[in-house]
This record gives sequence, C-alpha cells and structure tokens, in this order.
Amino acid sequence: MSASQKARQQPDEDPIAMLADGINVWIGKLGDIVHTIVDRTPIRHVINWGRIYSLWPVNITTACCSAEFGAASGARHDLERFGVLPLGSLRQSDLMVVEGTVTNKMAKRLKMIYDQMAVPRYVIAMGDCSISGGLFHDSYSIVNGVHEFLPVDVYVPGCPPRPEALEQGIIMLQEKIRSSKVYEHT
Amino acid sequence: MTSVVSSEPSESGSQTLTISVGPQHSGSGHMRLIIEMDGDIIIRASPDPGYVHRGTEKIYELRNIIKNIPVIERPAIIDASNLNHAYIRAVEELQGIEAPPRAQYLRCLLNEMNRITSHLYWLSIFGVFLGHTTMFMWPLGDRELIVDLQEKLTGARITHSYIVPGGVRRDLPQGMKEEAIKRTQYLEKRLEEYDKIFFENPIFTARAKGVGKLSRDEAVKLGAVGPALRGSGVDYDVRKDEPYAAYPELDFNVCTRQEGDSYARSMARIDEIRESCKLIRQIVQKIPSGPFRRKAPIVVPRGESYSRVESARGECSVYLIGDGGDKPYRLRFITGSYRNMAIIAPVLIGGHMADMPTAWWSIDYWPVEADR
Repeated sequence: MSASQKARQQPDEDPIAMLADGINVWIGKLGDIVHTIVDRTPIRHVINWGRIYSLWPVNITTACCSAEFGAASGARHDLERFGVLPLGSLRQSDLMVVEGTVTNKMAKRLKMIYDQMAVPRYVIAMGDCSISGGLFHDSYSIVNGVHEFLPVDVYVPGCPPRPEALEQGIIMLQEKIRSSKVYEHT
Repeated sequence: MTSVVSSEPSESGSQTLTISVGPQHSGSGHMRLIIEMDGDIIIRASPDPGYVHRGTEKIYELRNIIKNIPVIERPAIIDASNLNHAYIRAVEELQGIEAPPRAQYLRCLLNEMNRITSHLYWLSIFGVFLGHTTMFMWPLGDRELIVDLQEKLTGARITHSYIVPGGVRRDLPQGMKEEAIKRTQYLEKRLEEYDKIFFENPIFTARAKGVGKLSRDEAVKLGAVGPALRGSGVDYDVRKDEPYAAYPELDFNVCTRQEGDSYARSMARIDEIRESCKLIRQIVQKIPSGPFRRKAPIVVPRGESYSRVESARGECSVYLIGDGGDKPYRLRFITGSYRNMAIIAPVLIGGHMADMPTAWWSIDYWPVEADR
C-alpha cells in the first residue's frame, strides 16, 4: 500500500493530507480559470499553431494504403513539410492515420492504441475501406468503416488515395485545428 | 507496442522473457511476432498473422471475373500487376484463348516495372529499420520515376487493373520508349550510388552479414520462394523454369547469392532491379506491332486451371475452378509472402534481438499479401 493510499484512508487525522486536498481543489479551480482565459484570448492561436505543425502520426498500419502513406512520406511528397513526422512513439503522437481496411482482429488493437494516445488526438480515415468498407464491404472479417468505434476528423477517399489527396486531408485537418478550441478534445 | 507477455524460469534455471512485437511497431507492420528470449538471444519466434485477413478468397466467388481484377490486386498493391497476371493467365487457360504477342510484351513491361517499384519500396523501409534516413528518402524518390511511367502506361499510380482477359487495357503511349530507356539508365546509375552509401557502408555490412542465416537445404525444405530462396543459393525463378508471356524471348539472368544471410537476400533484390532495368529496355525495343487486345468471353467454362508467375516476393500461384457461370466456383490464391512465412522463425532464432529488424525485413514479408 503506497503512502498516498494510506493518506486517503485517514484524511481527518493527517493535517498534511488535508492541506494537500485543499490545494488540489484550488488548483482545479485555477485550471478552469486558465482554460477560460486560454480559450478566449489570442493564447489559443499560439497553442493551435503549435499543434498544427507537429502532427506526429502513430506507427500503425492497418492495410494496403500504407504503401501510399509511405510514398507520401518519401522524397517527392515529403509530409514532413506539414510537420507530419512518422517516427514518434505512441504516447507522443497526435494523429492516427487509419491506412485502409480495418479487420475485426485489428479493430480491437486500433481502439487500444487510440485509448493510449495522449489528448489532443486526431483521426484521419484514409482509403475507401476505412470509410465504408470499400471494395471489401461484403467480407466476413472486416469493420465497415472506422467511424463505428473511433471519432474521425477527416475522411480521405480513394482506393488507394494518391499522396496528393492525403496531403489535402492533412491540410483540411490543420484548418480544423486552427478554428478549434484548445480544450475541446479533452 | 513492445510489451512483456511473461517472464518464467526455464528448466535449466535461466530466465527467459517472452515479448510481443507489434502490431503497433515501426518494425513489424500489420503483424505480430511473439519472441522468447534468453538474455539477448532469440530462442523461439512465432508469427501471429491475420491482422489483414479480409476474406478475399470468399469475395472472389461473389464477383464476376472482370470485377475480380481489382480485388485480386489489393493484397499487394505495390506489386499489383504480377498478381493480376497470375489470375488472368488462369482465366485465359480455362477460356482457351491467348493474348496477342504485343499484349504479352506489354504485360511483361508492367510486371518488371512493378518488380522495381516493389523492391525500391522494400529498400526504403529497410533503411528506416536500420535508422538510415537517407536510404528511406532516396529509393522512394527514385521509385516515383517508375511510378510515373506506370501512370503513363496504365493511368493509375499503383493499382493498374491493366491486364484483362484477352490482352491489356491500353496500348503503349507515345514517347514511352524513350522515356523508359532514359529512366532505367538513370536508375542504374543511382544503384551505384546506393552501393556507395548503403551496401558498402561498414555499418550496414556489420549489421547484415552473417545475420539471419538460412541454409540452402533449409530454404528448400521449408518452401521459401523469391529473393529469399535465391539469396540462399537456389537457382529458381518461374520466369526461367516455366516461362510465360514474353519471357522466353527475353534475355535475363536469375540473380542468386550463396551466403544465405540478410546481406545476400538484400543483394539478390538489388541485382534483380538491375536485371529488370535491362528487361524493360529490351521489351520497349523488341515489342512487336499488332493488336493489343482481343475479344474474350465473360464466362469461366467448366474446368480447372493452375497458373503461376514470379512476383516480386516470389512465386505466386492461382488455382481456379469454373462452373460455367460468370463467377469463379473457387479461386485459391497463394502468394510469395504466404510461403515465406515458414522461414520467419528459422531466420530469427539464434540471433540477437537487436538484429531482429534486419533479419526479419530481409525476407520482405508483406503481411497484406500473406493474409489476403
């Protein structure tokens, strides 16, 4: 049993724990005030500007659209100029690009990975399969659209989408972030 | 997501560690490897495929033979036309028709372009695995040149649906010949630069030579195919051993290496790119004139047929049963990666965990193609 759990069991007898609880409450209230200030002042634009140009996608490939995602990250199309650097770890990533068909087996893992990502987190559904099932809509082993279990921000249609289409999708997501509130996603 | 599954003392008293690599891992793609380690040495490895199993073999029975073409390409979209070619050859054999000679050459042209783009894509991911970012950017940049050629020929970047029963969809466009010669010559020059920066790089050779050994006997016994087999010294290529389309009339070598390690498998692929460049130049120069498509029936007659082609990842075979309708009664589809799944464990076992990415990716296992 850790020290904090012990403290929580006997709050009345421990003045330090009481003081800590009081400070926590006040910090919480202070947090609400900070949220309000940030969302109603130009600080919002500064934070959004930071988010727009550091969209690190998580390393999860679900199906064959990953070939075009690779091509888009490569030399000619170079997603890094939009701040999309696909080398981040799970906890440091902001963006999940669902690259193609989501099978029943992968869907559980995809949800698990999404839940572990830190907020704010965004989802791009890339390819027809992740939008509606696409070519494999009548298959016995796939999920018809990733929107069934994840909140999708931008849909990029195509089978597979060209790298230019993916770039367009990322620009659309950046526009969306630019006009959003800072604590909307928490 | 490299997570510890269990940690148990073995019979000899030493502690083994079981870890799960993937599916969220930059080094595993859409599959999972369960690896048991003793210290840093891998003592057991078992692949966990099926993350991209889309039930395509059932879908083939629901679509007619023309609508099946896009579905058959999707398992390996960076190598689409080779898979498509295997399917169309099975359909044509059953229908009893043969494409005109010009179409045979055009099919080979696209197949070789696909082989180059597929190998270059593999090389770029290999670069990422080894932390060599330049080797990620260069092959993907040079790949776009060939992708542009494919787009010019077929109208699509990577999923062409170009090969249809009775021929091909479009004829050779104007200026394609000069463009293809120019670009393949440029690519060959670039391959020399790749050698300087990557394949003769002491860091790469130290990480790849002697890593992931697969002996000749073991490769044959386990049924490896493609560059994974030729890297172990077996001279087997469907294009030579059972020639199809225009390959009997073309001059090329089968690229083999004797060592059977990661380096040999990698170099077998690079040699193949060189051979494919030569083949493309031969094809555009030797291509006969005439029609590029003939009429073909829409039905699959009653009967069975079997065809195989050499795709970028090895032998790809299609077994087709027709019942006289416009849909296949059954279509069995086996790809190179599916066969190569058998050699993942022998290649990894006995090596260090740090060598896992090199050994694993040198097989060029494409999970989408294996799961279908």
